[in-house]
Amino acid sequence: MDDFFFSLLLAGVSVGAVYALIALGLNLTFWTTKTLNFGQGSLMMLCAMLTVWLSSQGIAVALAVLGSLVVVAALGMFIERWTVRPALKASSGSMGWVVSTLGFGIFLQGMAAKYFGSQAMAFPDVIFSAQDYVTLFGQFVSLQYLVVLAVAVALILALELFVRKTVWGQAVQAVSLDPELALVQGIPVRRLVLGSFMLSSVLAGVAGVLIAQIGGTVDPAFGFDLVLLGFVAAVLGGMGSSFGALAGGLVVGILSKLVGGYVSTAAEHGIAFALLMLALAVRPQGLFGRPEVSKA
Amino acid sequence: MKISRRDLALGAAMLAMPGVLRAQSAPIKLGFTAALTGPFNEFGEGINRGAQIAVEECNKAGGINGRMVELAEVLDDQLVPDRAVQNLRRILDNREIVGLMCPSGSGPTLAIADMIQADGRPIINPQAQTPSIVYPNGLDKPPRPNLFSISIGNVVESEKLAAALSEFSRIGVLHESTGYGVTGADLVRKEIQRRNARARVTVESYNQRAQDMTAQLVRVQRANAEAMLVIGLGADFAVIRRNMSRLNMNPALYGSTGAVTVPYIEGAGDLAAGTRAVNHAAFGRRPMHATAQKFADLYRAKFGTDRWYGTDAANPLISLAGTVASGYDCINLLLDSIRRAGSTSAADMVKALDQTTDYEGATIRRISFTPQNHVALKLEDLGMYEMLKRDGRVVLELRDQ
Amino acid sequence: MNAVRARLSALAADWRLGLLLVAALLLGAPLLSPGTVQIVSFVLIAAIFAQSINLLTGLAGQISLGHAGFFGIGAYCTGILVKTHGLDVALGVPAAVLLAGLTGWLLSFPANRVRDVYLAMMTLGFGMVFFEVVREWNDVTGGTMGLPGVPSAALRTLTILGMQVDGLGYFRLVLLVTAGVILLMRNLTQSRIGRAFYAIHVSEVAAGSIGIPAGRTKQLAYALSGALAGLAGALYAHLVGYLGPESFALPRSIEVLVIAIVGGLGSIAGQVLSAALFTFLPERLQVFAEWQFIAYGLILTFSLLVLPRGIGGLLFLPPRFIRPRALARAATQRAEATTLRPSGDAAALEAEGITMRFGGLVAVDDVSLRLEPGRITALVGPNGSGKSTFVNVVTGIYRPSAGRVRFAGQDITGLPDHRVAAAGVVRTFQDPRLVPHFTVRENLLLGAHRQLRHTGLSAALALPGATRDEAAQLALVEAVLALADLTDVADRPIDTLPYGTRRMAEVGRALLARPRVILLDEPAAGLSEAEMERLSQLIRDMKAMGLAILLIDHHMDFLAELVDDVVVLDSGRMIYRGDIAGMRGDAQVIAAYLGDEAAHA
Repeated sequence: MDDFFFSLLLAGVSVGAVYALIALGLNLTFWTTKTLNFGQGSLMMLCAMLTVWLSSQGIAVALAVLGSLVVVAALGMFIERWTVRPALKASSGSMGWVVSTLGFGIFLQGMAAKYFGSQAMAFPDVIFSAQDYVTLFGQFVSLQYLVVLAVAVALILALELFVRKTVWGQAVQAVSLDPELALVQGIPVRRLVLGSFMLSSVLAGVAGVLIAQIGGTVDPAFGFDLVLLGFVAAVLGGMGSSFGALAGGLVVGILSKLVGGYVSTAAEHGIAFALLMLALAVRPQGLFGRPEVSKA
Repeated sequence: MKISRRDLALGAAMLAMPGVLRAQSAPIKLGFTAALTGPFNEFGEGINRGAQIAVEECNKAGGINGRMVELAEVLDDQLVPDRAVQNLRRILDNREIVGLMCPSGSGPTLAIADMIQADGRPIINPQAQTPSIVYPNGLDKPPRPNLFSISIGNVVESEKLAAALSEFSRIGVLHESTGYGVTGADLVRKEIQRRNARARVTVESYNQRAQDMTAQLVRVQRANAEAMLVIGLGADFAVIRRNMSRLNMNPALYGSTGAVTVPYIEGAGDLAAGTRAVNHAAFGRRPMHATAQKFADLYRAKFGTDRWYGTDAANPLISLAGTVASGYDCINLLLDSIRRAGSTSAADMVKALDQTTDYEGATIRRISFTPQNHVALKLEDLGMYEMLKRDGRVVLELRDQ
Repeated sequence: MNAVRARLSALAADWRLGLLLVAALLLGAPLLSPGTVQIVSFVLIAAIFAQSINLLTGLAGQISLGHAGFFGIGAYCTGILVKTHGLDVALGVPAAVLLAGLTGWLLSFPANRVRDVYLAMMTLGFGMVFFEVVREWNDVTGGTMGLPGVPSAALRTLTILGMQVDGLGYFRLVLLVTAGVILLMRNLTQSRIGRAFYAIHVSEVAAGSIGIPAGRTKQLAYALSGALAGLAGALYAHLVGYLGPESFALPRSIEVLVIAIVGGLGSIAGQVLSAALFTFLPERLQVFAEWQFIAYGLILTFSLLVLPRGIGGLLFLPPRFIRPRALARAATQRAEATTLRPSGDAAALEAEGITMRFGGLVAVDDVSLRLEPGRITALVGPNGSGKSTFVNVVTGIYRPSAGRVRFAGQDITGLPDHRVAAAGVVRTFQDPRLVPHFTVRENLLLGAHRQLRHTGLSAALALPGATRDEAAQLALVEAVLALADLTDVADRPIDTLPYGTRRMAEVGRALLARPRVILLDEPAAGLSEAEMERLSQLIRDMKAMGLAILLIDHHMDFLAELVDDVVVLDSGRMIYRGDIAGMRGDAQVIAAYLGDEAAHA
């Protein structure tokens, strides 16, 4: 294995972990409502920007992160209550929630641009700095990326445990299969849905902070493109599957880096989406998704 | 009855009065569309502020021949080309508008360039960098007759960068996948090879806001580049610089104008030290030339030390020239052409603009246009800045005066 | 409110008013400033573009997040042909429409394999791939620098068939094209094609059961939608004159989706109003100055909260799916339900050794039976004994693990459901699967889908032949409505009616699909005494027509009066075959089924 290949592989794993982390957050709302928050990128952005602003006011970085997470958690609840729920009520088959969640994302972007400015703001190091690394087979492995990978893996394990071993997890599964039936069975569907949006937003916030510190800056448009790749990771892995999110993220990350390195960096951008189309055509339910049982 | 000469003169003046009054009451109207809101408003809001300062300054001095100046149509396109087209149509429909300024950004500007050329009224480009905005048929062909540019165009910027890079024999160029990045990289490569035929240039592209550039960087690394140039926005450059540190890459590092901005300097942190990049020399020289200093004072008086100006009152950000002062210069050039032409007709103004000679702007010390040359920026207007770490922070130093 | 809606709907549907509006715009345009003319041209193009989403998402129920791709294909195709190759606009635009339509057709094949969020993502991928290709393909598209100088109205460089066209002329042209598109969309909505789109939107399985092929219908929807989007893109190219990749990126796809959803999916007039709103909005929002971007976000966020069914739902009554002219014509005709009698030789359906396994579970185990014309066979058994699964196998929803189904000398084992239906084997569902927003009459006419033979083109143009064809089937629908006692509720949307009525409507719909074999899955469940009586009569009528009938039900009294043969299933196995009297005495049946039924009775 030469260094060239290894660098690309490592980069692919690193960005793949980022996509996976985003995909995990997207999965949560998919479990309960079969919707995705198209404004997820704005939550990532807002959490990171608030962290910058709070710490510029002299608040310790850790507290600033915590405070920002509380804000995005509240926003997550707001999104469920005022954008997703009305859209689903209007007509469950249509994609109205795409418009309303996206609209709220645009609103947050506009607010951030107005109050923090649209120029990129420097993001403080939260955990480790860009120069912190360990060496693996003679290659530098960034600790900041390792944190992302570790968080993603820890989250996957936690989510799997939650779903399989806890009562609430069982309840989430019931809601996922048939929300109306779950309601009849006395499961507090509303609270679960609200909770899933809150948690999803917190995950978006965590992802925003961890990713912003890698790039070093954050601006109002931050997050949107990343969320698209998060979509790809989630869908490729099979919507709703935690392991799938990681696998999907890694596949997208590694493949696009290898194509970028060996074929052309111009093709690097398009390849993720070409892969998405191809994978869906061949295996519609994703790598780890179960095929939908068509109820006749 | 004896009529004196003085009475005659007075009478004539009296007769002329309504005309004078009318001229005074009809303000000179200017307009533009730019990204005033939304996530890309840094530049649009910047030139808007510059334009406001220019208009206020002019009106405070009594206007032009007694006529006040007004920014009558200031519209927001949020950097969306379609919206720029619609806004421009609306501005052009207002026949009272006598002069315009191009939108911030190449996308909207390219979208409206043909339209404004067909209309014929003068327009000046503050920021968009793509050469085909001014020279649609190639650099050796005549420019659009009514479109002038004071922006840091790709051509001059590339020349400046190539001059520095041609000392090296293996060079990597990373550019954003936009019109600006693609043309810039192409021009730099050609210019380097013209100066140094043995130089090997590796060109790689990246998407704006990409989060990892490893593939591009290892390709440059594999080509054993001694020097690397990044053409793109400051925030992306910060990502690249951090990515380089993870790959332990340490070539001589050069950047385009985007590098001399807060996002790069703060985003890359200490890693920025050692980077060299081009930008307007105007705000880096000490003492600044008179108009640059005057503009800085006016801005500070009106808006304070904000995110465009920077926190240091004595040393405004270098990027203030490109974000705000360029809007100031555009409006002033339009007003200057009206003053010299003594007319607000499009043909007269364009003719006057074509004859602009050594007009002192805030961003460019001597602005001159000719019918063949509509680009004001010259090599000496750009400075090569080096980023140095001093007293725990990164500072900029102008390397060539 | 509904009275206002009815008034507005009548106005929107009035062709004289439409004509007046078009004429007023055509003649009044010179009074407007060039800027207004240009922005109204943008509105019209947005309206065409929104109709493409309306067709694909609103009618056919297929989501797209990549429509900027089709729009861009249209724009670049004509842009390149006209600018680079000097083709006339009159050829460039149709070529663009064809290419975009072809792309839509091709995309439908992978898209047919996925649905919902997965479909959204696949189309998103299509849009992104298109964007990357346009941006990197420098030689043809101009890459990131774009394609300037496309002959256009804005630059006064546009000539069509040798005639110079200015902004005003182009506006008039676009207006006429838009009017044409709206007319075609309305005709299509009120034709067999629009109804088929809606049927697969609601349930592909139900559509297949009456012979509407989901796959081919979706291919058509994608091709038409792509072509419409391509048309919008091509008109756009000659309006602005500059094509840059940024104009065809994701935000454009999102923008058109927003226009379509806020306009109210399914409502044609709503789309036009919404296109106007969202094109003028940015200009109007200028008064909000620095709040503009924020205001836009808030409008998107809360529009559905305020207007759950969009602008169309607020202002207009829901659209109808039968052309009024066809209805009027049908009213003058009379048809007898007896003409539904199957033609040709009487044929029996034979199922031999049908076995259906799901993983380790055997749902149907080696069941054979024969359905004779003019005979009613009851299929009974406890819940979960495999009755519905058996029907699913016979009608092509499942391919059996073993065994064969033959009908009229033809092996129909494993054929897709719509082909089974086309062969004359039609079923109903345990839970009625009708189109909820359709009226009873519309639902029944859907059953006659395969009998409507006129071409799509004549449907879109509303040619007299198409109207005649529809009227003939509508007359039959009237006869079946009378037969099923549904005439009084014929114009009520099905989702406002009680369960029993829906059941009758579903049986009526199946009958209109010209079955030779009909399989009724618990048609009497939830019916009142009177309704059950009506159903019995209907089933007898069908028997009299010579249909082979399979009837699943639990009500022994109901069955006893009707059936000729009984087949009893238990845990997937057939435990009895014979007449109903014999069944009552059969020990195995009593043990498995009647035992606990009797205990409750």
